[in-house]
Amino acid sequence: MKIPLSWLKEYVDFEDTVEGLADKLTFSGVEVEGIERLGGGVPGVVVGEVLGIEKHPNADKLTLCRVNFGGPAEMTVVCGAPNVAVGGKYPFAPLGVALPCGITIEKRKVRGVFSEGMLCAEDELGISDHHEGLMVLDAAWAPGTPLAEVLGPPETVIEVEITPNRPDCLSLLGLAREVAALYGTKVKVPDTTLAESPPAVEKATSVVVEDLTDCPRYTARILQDVKVGSSPDWMKRRLEAAGIRAINNIVDITNYVMLECGQPLHAFDQKLLAEGRIVVRHPKPGEKILTLDGVERALEPQMLVIADAQKPLAIAGVMGGEHSGINESTTDVLLESANFRPASVRATSKKLGMLSDASYRFSRGVDSELAEFGSRRAAKLICELAGAKVLKGVVDVRSEPRKPQTVVCRPARLEALLGLSATPEDIASLFESLELKVRRHSPEAIEVEVPSFRGDLTREADLIEEYARIYGLKKLPPVRPMATIVPGADDKPAQAQARLRAVLAGLGLQQIMNYSFLADRLLDLFDKDGAPARVRLANPLTAEHTVMRDALLPQMAETIGLNVSRQVSEAAFFETGRIFRLGPDGRPSEEDHVAIGLFGPVGRTGLDRFRAVDEQEMFLWIKGLWEQAAAALNLRAVKLRPADRPWSAPGRGMEIVVDGAAVGWLGLLKAEIAKEWRIHEPVGLLEAGAKPLVKDIATIHGLTPLPSYPSIRRDAALIMGLDVRHERVLEVARAAAPPELEKIELFDIYQGKNLGPGRKSMAYAFTYRSPRGTLTDEQANGFQQLVNAALKAQLPAEIREG
Amino acid sequence: MDIKEVEGLTAQALSELAGAADGTALEGLRVKYLGRNGLLPALMQGLKDVPAADKPALGLALNRFKTDVTAAVKERKAALEAGTRPALEAGFDYSLPGRWPRQGRLHPITQLIDRTSAIFRRMGFVVADGPDIETEYYNFDALNTPPDHVSRDLGDTFYLPGGLLLRTQTSAVQARYMEQRQPPVRIVCPGRCYRRDTTDATHSANFHQIEGLYVDAKVSLADLKSDIDHFARELMGPAVKSRFRAHFFPFTEPSVEVDFSCHMCGGTGCRVCKQSGWIEIMGAGMVDPNVFQMAGYDPENVTGYAFGMGIERLAMILFGIDDIRRLYENDVRYLAQF
Repeated sequence: MKIPLSWLKEYVDFEDTVEGLADKLTFSGVEVEGIERLGGGVPGVVVGEVLGIEKHPNADKLTLCRVNFGGPAEMTVVCGAPNVAVGGKYPFAPLGVALPCGITIEKRKVRGVFSEGMLCAEDELGISDHHEGLMVLDAAWAPGTPLAEVLGPPETVIEVEITPNRPDCLSLLGLAREVAALYGTKVKVPDTTLAESPPAVEKATSVVVEDLTDCPRYTARILQDVKVGSSPDWMKRRLEAAGIRAINNIVDITNYVMLECGQPLHAFDQKLLAEGRIVVRHPKPGEKILTLDGVERALEPQMLVIADAQKPLAIAGVMGGEHSGINESTTDVLLESANFRPASVRATSKKLGMLSDASYRFSRGVDSELAEFGSRRAAKLICELAGAKVLKGVVDVRSEPRKPQTVVCRPARLEALLGLSATPEDIASLFESLELKVRRHSPEAIEVEVPSFRGDLTREADLIEEYARIYGLKKLPPVRPMATIVPGADDKPAQAQARLRAVLAGLGLQQIMNYSFLADRLLDLFDKDGAPARVRLANPLTAEHTVMRDALLPQMAETIGLNVSRQVSEAAFFETGRIFRLGPDGRPSEEDHVAIGLFGPVGRTGLDRFRAVDEQEMFLWIKGLWEQAAAALNLRAVKLRPADRPWSAPGRGMEIVVDGAAVGWLGLLKAEIAKEWRIHEPVGLLEAGAKPLVKDIATIHGLTPLPSYPSIRRDAALIMGLDVRHERVLEVARAAAPPELEKIELFDIYQGKNLGPGRKSMAYAFTYRSPRGTLTDEQANGFQQLVNAALKAQLPAEIREG
Repeated sequence: MDIKEVEGLTAQALSELAGAADGTALEGLRVKYLGRNGLLPALMQGLKDVPAADKPALGLALNRFKTDVTAAVKERKAALEAGTRPALEAGFDYSLPGRWPRQGRLHPITQLIDRTSAIFRRMGFVVADGPDIETEYYNFDALNTPPDHVSRDLGDTFYLPGGLLLRTQTSAVQARYMEQRQPPVRIVCPGRCYRRDTTDATHSANFHQIEGLYVDAKVSLADLKSDIDHFARELMGPAVKSRFRAHFFPFTEPSVEVDFSCHMCGGTGCRVCKQSGWIEIMGAGMVDPNVFQMAGYDPENVTGYAFGMGIERLAMILFGIDDIRRLYENDVRYLAQF
């Protein structure tokens, strides 16, 4: 809301700069969003008319303008503005004038030609930051007219943001009350005494309100002999400074009074009303109305209209109709000052997509006691400014007025809540400055009667807030900050998740973050069958974000794709986030997941990174990464089971099993999916539930004592078919070996022509150790022979011993 | 054998060692003096023929011989090696790119959640969490949001079938937590929130907040101010101050907006604070009595404060991020800079 300062000062006195005022208002809850200075002009600057333009002989971008500024002679001015035109009128600073931007105009040469003055842009005049060209003035102004006359008297306008709990501040008087409380002064309420003329208003009109819930109050006054015309300049200026276009004196007065006190008003041409009377009712089926903005609108039964004996005239509290408004020939005015239920106005305004100054105020709530004041005030102005006479009395239809609220504030409670001490007298006097009537006060309690315009004050806490914001939040006493331990409160789950992230980052993964919602298409790529169990947004904002993710991998792959498309040659990512699914009962559930994505030579260091990565290698990286993570997370009994996923390349998917429970998958991305992002190299992926991964994070699984005796190693190279897997070697060897076999390590794989087609050599180191004594060479040889015999027979393999 | 003789031998050995021209010569001298059949074992052997009274002194002298000569051998060896190293390893290039597996990084939003949580943990808060999918009750009703409040509109909140919604604020966790525990309560709740905002440089439909709640027998607005002041200093720097402006939120009364003095310019005005010297950081206030009532607390017996701030906004301010969308784009070249 825009507040012209000179207007505000009509209702309240305060000694301060505008910045000081803005500061006080902002800290007390009325945020000042901007300060704008209008009008005023600059001494000496006048209207100049450009009579002719020539090119500057020595500069391409400059022109020479002949300017008439009402003086005895034309002046030649060097000008660089792009928008200068012959016949145009601009602010002109003659020689000797000092401009707010710091320039004093002197006769001086610009590129060899004398310039005798300056045509000005807005920033040079200190009006705004605008410097796109000269400030263009209306062609009607005579050259030589002082700029101050063109721009009008100086005015400062502050723009304030009013929070939804303070509808009373959507007016100058409301704001004046705040200012009065902040500066310890009193509000000056404008005079509303009316010189009424017979006959009584009841002879001229009547009002029927069919729904007193949606329209708790409706008042009507009749004004006759109205002369519709233009408003006085002072009123137009104030309205325009407040951001409202002046139309005619009657409409302007209704707007003026709305801004002044917050009561929206509407003026009907009474002669256009069927039977000259008002019926407030809900629309009949099929009724339409042509609103002031020229649009015909279909009305719905739950809306509320102001009608005459036959037809709707206006949409209550939202907008007037085209056919009943004030026009040049209006002589009799029915002045509406009413009150409508906020939720009803809000719903109608929203449904019709219409926002007006009236609907804004009614939506937030207008004090129903204000209706009579607003009506009197407007009637008085119409009498004064439109030569009207006002009929005696007012038609006032209303529901039972609300009883005045009383609220109690206990100083002890105030002290507890704010942490500052105040005497009952201080509190009472601060409340009185806000026009709260103190009914009684004792050291224990202060009881106040809340005026009708402060409907937001219903509880003790509300009063305490009033005290805090008017007393001054800057004056809260300093307290030493104290760390307070709450016994029994811990956050182990949060710590575990932080630890998981630290482990993954420590393994070289960059954390990424994707949105929780996306489009089905990407999820379908990874698992079409999951679609029925997805959680859908009822009111998505874009087609890109319609469904909650049921897996993290689709966006992981997409992220890798984005990086690949930007020439990033390798990526190692993880994401932790929630996934969402509908349960069998149709209720959504959510679960923390973790996903990993690898692309490029991420598992290598140094110059090795420039070799291409094959499927086997990428697979071993994603698997190795998982093994490292599992070890770092203290997981035991970890297994991988071959199991393809809809997204995994055939034979390249594994199920992750921890303590017998499947917790996730890892594997390589299917080529058909990778193609989506033009990825043609292997992508390693993993997704698992986060909770099962952190379950042992704080567990030590019992310690194994360090060995007392040395170990002994035997090597064996197995030459066998390509189809024999490492795990089979381990299985056979372990089954055949005595308990002294401590570990089996693969240290070489070789395929070559000398082995023959379809054959490979895998070399293993077998380590033996006994807890009872140092093993002899003979013992070790004996163990290895057992193992070798089994391998030879069962794999089968040819063995070369090392 | 006497002490003089031993000292003479020591001096001689040291002088010869200093003159050793190469490794071979040095090894020869080591064997001559310290070797199994060298001088030292012979002298030790001779110690048994010395009168008992002279034994301790002579023993000490022989020990000194051993340590001095051993040290001299080591020293000469190092000197000879230092002199010959460049010749031995001519191809060594210290300027080649280093080799070690990469270190990963946490997303800047996680980093900020961790940083802010750590500050509050030190002040005795614990981290609490709740679901992203919420009921209207926990997201709005329990926080004293009026039934027809604009924030409940279809235009502002994402709804799901069955009357559920995506939480618009982490405050929903507060209501859940209070329902399950009796005061005192001292928690922070970092988490993901959703609002039906069109995504642009400063808005994201999916974002993060961290929320704080402290409820106890006697918690005041002055406590909130001092705790927030402490947080401001810890997060932004020792010179940073906070200030309260009165405001309105349905779930607190009194309510305030909190500005921090600009960490870039110290409050004199710069581009980061739009010349104001202050940056709006969070909303806060004293928990509304209605919120306590709904949680089953007696507002006569407890008071409490609550605050909440946007992590993305904080990240933009602290890290100088110009466009919120960069945080969700996941270009590794950008993320790796945090």
